[in-house]
Amino acid sequence: MAQYIGRRLIQLAGIMIAVSFLTFLLMYLSPGDAAEKKLGAQGISVSEEIIEKTRESMGLNRPFLVQYGDWALHALQGDLGESYKDNFPVAEKLAKGLRYTAILALTSLALAFFVALPLSILTALKKDSLIDDVTRLFSFAGNSLPNFLISVLLMYFLCVKAHLLPLVANESVKGLIMPCLALSIPICGRFIRQFRAEFLEQLAKPYVSGAMLRGVKRRYILKNVLHNASISIMTIVGLSIGTLFGGSVVIETVFRWPGLGKLAMDAITNRDYPVIQGFVLFTSTVYVGINLLIDICYAWVDPRLRGKGGGA
Amino acid sequence: MKQGGKFLALLLALCMILALTACGKTAQEQPAPSTNAPAGNDPAPAQPANSKYLRMAVNFAYPSLDAHKDYYGWYTSIYGVTETLFRVGNDLSISPLLAKSYSVQDEDKTWVIELADACFSNGTPVTADMVKRNLERLNEVNERFSFINDFTFETDGDKTLFIKTPEIFPTMLSDLLAAPEAAIMDLDATADFDNAPIATGPFVIKSFKPEGDVEVIRNDNYWNGAVKLDGATFFYMPDADSKLMAMQSDEIDCYTSVDAAAKEIFEADPATYHLTVIPATRLQFYVLNMTRLSDNVRAAINLTVDSDAIAAYLKGTTSAAVGPFGASAPYGQVTKSSPDPDAAKAKLEADGYTLNADGYYEKDGKVLELNICYYQSRQLPDLAVLMQEQLKNIGVKATLTVQEDPDATYVATGDYDIALYCMIADKAGDPYYCVKELFSKECKWAKAGFPTDEVEALINTLQYETDAAQRAALANQIVQKTIDENAFGYVGLFNKVSVAKPGVTGFSENCPFDFYGITADTDIA
Repeated sequence: MAQYIGRRLIQLAGIMIAVSFLTFLLMYLSPGDAAEKKLGAQGISVSEEIIEKTRESMGLNRPFLVQYGDWALHALQGDLGESYKDNFPVAEKLAKGLRYTAILALTSLALAFFVALPLSILTALKKDSLIDDVTRLFSFAGNSLPNFLISVLLMYFLCVKAHLLPLVANESVKGLIMPCLALSIPICGRFIRQFRAEFLEQLAKPYVSGAMLRGVKRRYILKNVLHNASISIMTIVGLSIGTLFGGSVVIETVFRWPGLGKLAMDAITNRDYPVIQGFVLFTSTVYVGINLLIDICYAWVDPRLRGKGGGA
Repeated sequence: MKQGGKFLALLLALCMILALTACGKTAQEQPAPSTNAPAGNDPAPAQPANSKYLRMAVNFAYPSLDAHKDYYGWYTSIYGVTETLFRVGNDLSISPLLAKSYSVQDEDKTWVIELADACFSNGTPVTADMVKRNLERLNEVNERFSFINDFTFETDGDKTLFIKTPEIFPTMLSDLLAAPEAAIMDLDATADFDNAPIATGPFVIKSFKPEGDVEVIRNDNYWNGAVKLDGATFFYMPDADSKLMAMQSDEIDCYTSVDAAAKEIFEADPATYHLTVIPATRLQFYVLNMTRLSDNVRAAINLTVDSDAIAAYLKGTTSAAVGPFGASAPYGQVTKSSPDPDAAKAKLEADGYTLNADGYYEKDGKVLELNICYYQSRQLPDLAVLMQEQLKNIGVKATLTVQEDPDATYVATGDYDIALYCMIADKAGDPYYCVKELFSKECKWAKAGFPTDEVEALINTLQYETDAAQRAALANQIVQKTIDENAFGYVGLFNKVSVAKPGVTGFSENCPFDFYGITADTDIA
């Protein structure tokens, strides 16, 4: 297992170098730069002479490899640099965004998971019943409605009409409810369909019919089904964590939630390379890290996999 | 615990740990006060029953309150925290604020500024030396003001400042002394420029969340009369729907930049919402490439594009423009021909174009096809489609090319027939900035072939002209030339659309500039 984790960590380093290099290259090749964006932020035109001077002071005139090498060298020492837009440390900006993204992502994930799990078990057991049809309708609707529409509907009914929740909220628990609901509805819809399919697959397996024929109590059978389905469920949930940690631009903007999604979008708009690089470095680490964690969990849940090096 | 449950336990534990450790609030992040908040709103610090607190939504939020840096001064000005030596009025005239008067001496190369008896929020008087140091600091920390480098500052006593310029600098007021970035702060007493600048405005910062909400309270030492509000909170709300619904749920009292959809909703309920619409300073325009398009083709395009129809389609978010400046400005007195499709067709036919079987004009077997370049901002996509449609109606084919960054693509290369663009035309009550940025030989649009020696000479005269009436006349002459030559098309000036609850007044809803907000006169019933 230790060897496996070590190998994966080396892979992680390789992936991060490749991803950061590609991101830097793409940003470098795309038209426009941070100096122009910074100086003309309010729609004021600025002379080419001033833009050029700013470019020089920001180091944007240096060759691509020098710029990337400089960034990478500092990043290796834990210094992600300063934002081109406002000269604030990138690490601080990411840490702040991460805090709020983590709160929103994990609470949304937990809400979606704990709603989806019992519903998917129920719909698998009562396939093609009324409850299955109703749940299917909900999950299709949740899956197909775009985030912004869910957000607007929630705001309209819960804030404007019912006055149940504040629209102008801060980052408190109360302020978390709306973005959490908006984010968890589509995830929940997806989870229900995916979990249900997994449970149905397990329920169709011979060990289930055998157990039923032998008169094994239903809750024991269900326990085994849940156990056997857990590896797939873990994969589904794990991949969702990775996605959610990238932040949700729409929900964060609509509900004024200061997470990573909005930070990244602003950075891209402003050609703020250090922030983009920091964000990419962070998200690639999260993706690879979560996958590694899931692989370790596989081995924890199913000891048979330990002998195979921990991978599923 | 069996394996299936282990996963659940792991997920639960993770969620709980993160929720418990990360959901704490710092003192800075306390919710803002809102006297009229509905029952479901966040708990707010109690305010006296008769206190006057304004809740306003704003589109942008910045990481710092250092007025000299970047464009942060625009927002400290909106928050009513900072002031400048001069202020641009709603009628675009510039009048003294922290200054009492000014004169220009030494062949117009020395500006003498007499200061008013103003003081900072800590009670310290504003002195000429402090103003001098503020302007020097602005030069140091803001690249856009590097032109200050050429100036020499001197003081005479506490209240007289001399600004000496190497050559005549008639735009001293609009380019520098009325610019929101040239705010005067107490450089000695301010310990933290990013979070708590000490300045002269009617309000002082109570709490500031970088790139988030800002709360201000009345400056009890305000030097320029009584301040009507007790305080205000600026909620950072970039999303249009959120602002609309926050207004509907009575969680905010006012905001500007109302979009077309929200405007219709507010207009339908005038008893509840007071809507103010005024033409502002942001211009939608297009450049016709003179190196590619003949005189007649350009004339045909300008006779086809119907600014009024476009403004009507955009549902009041823009006002049809004749030139780059508002018609009320002395330098906005220009004329252009009314749209006339028949005259446009005649121009094309005079150029040898004939209609083909598909209904498009062609010459020598080649269909006249125009490339309209634009970018995804400021309603330019709508403008591009509407222009394409209007041109199609007279038989001119147009293709649309969208670019993410206009300055680095079509503006830089000159590779377009028609280039759409949007910029602030009137920076602070003077035409020179716009004229220079659009029509001079060094400007980024020069590749389109317009600048002529005659126009360049007029721009040079404008640069050094000190008489306001003469400046306006020169600007009108230059802009009229661009219209007559069919080099440019001025489509619309973005409207400043503001909405407020009844009784809310004076939050700069009648001011065309983006950098003014609440003042001592802002009031809420």
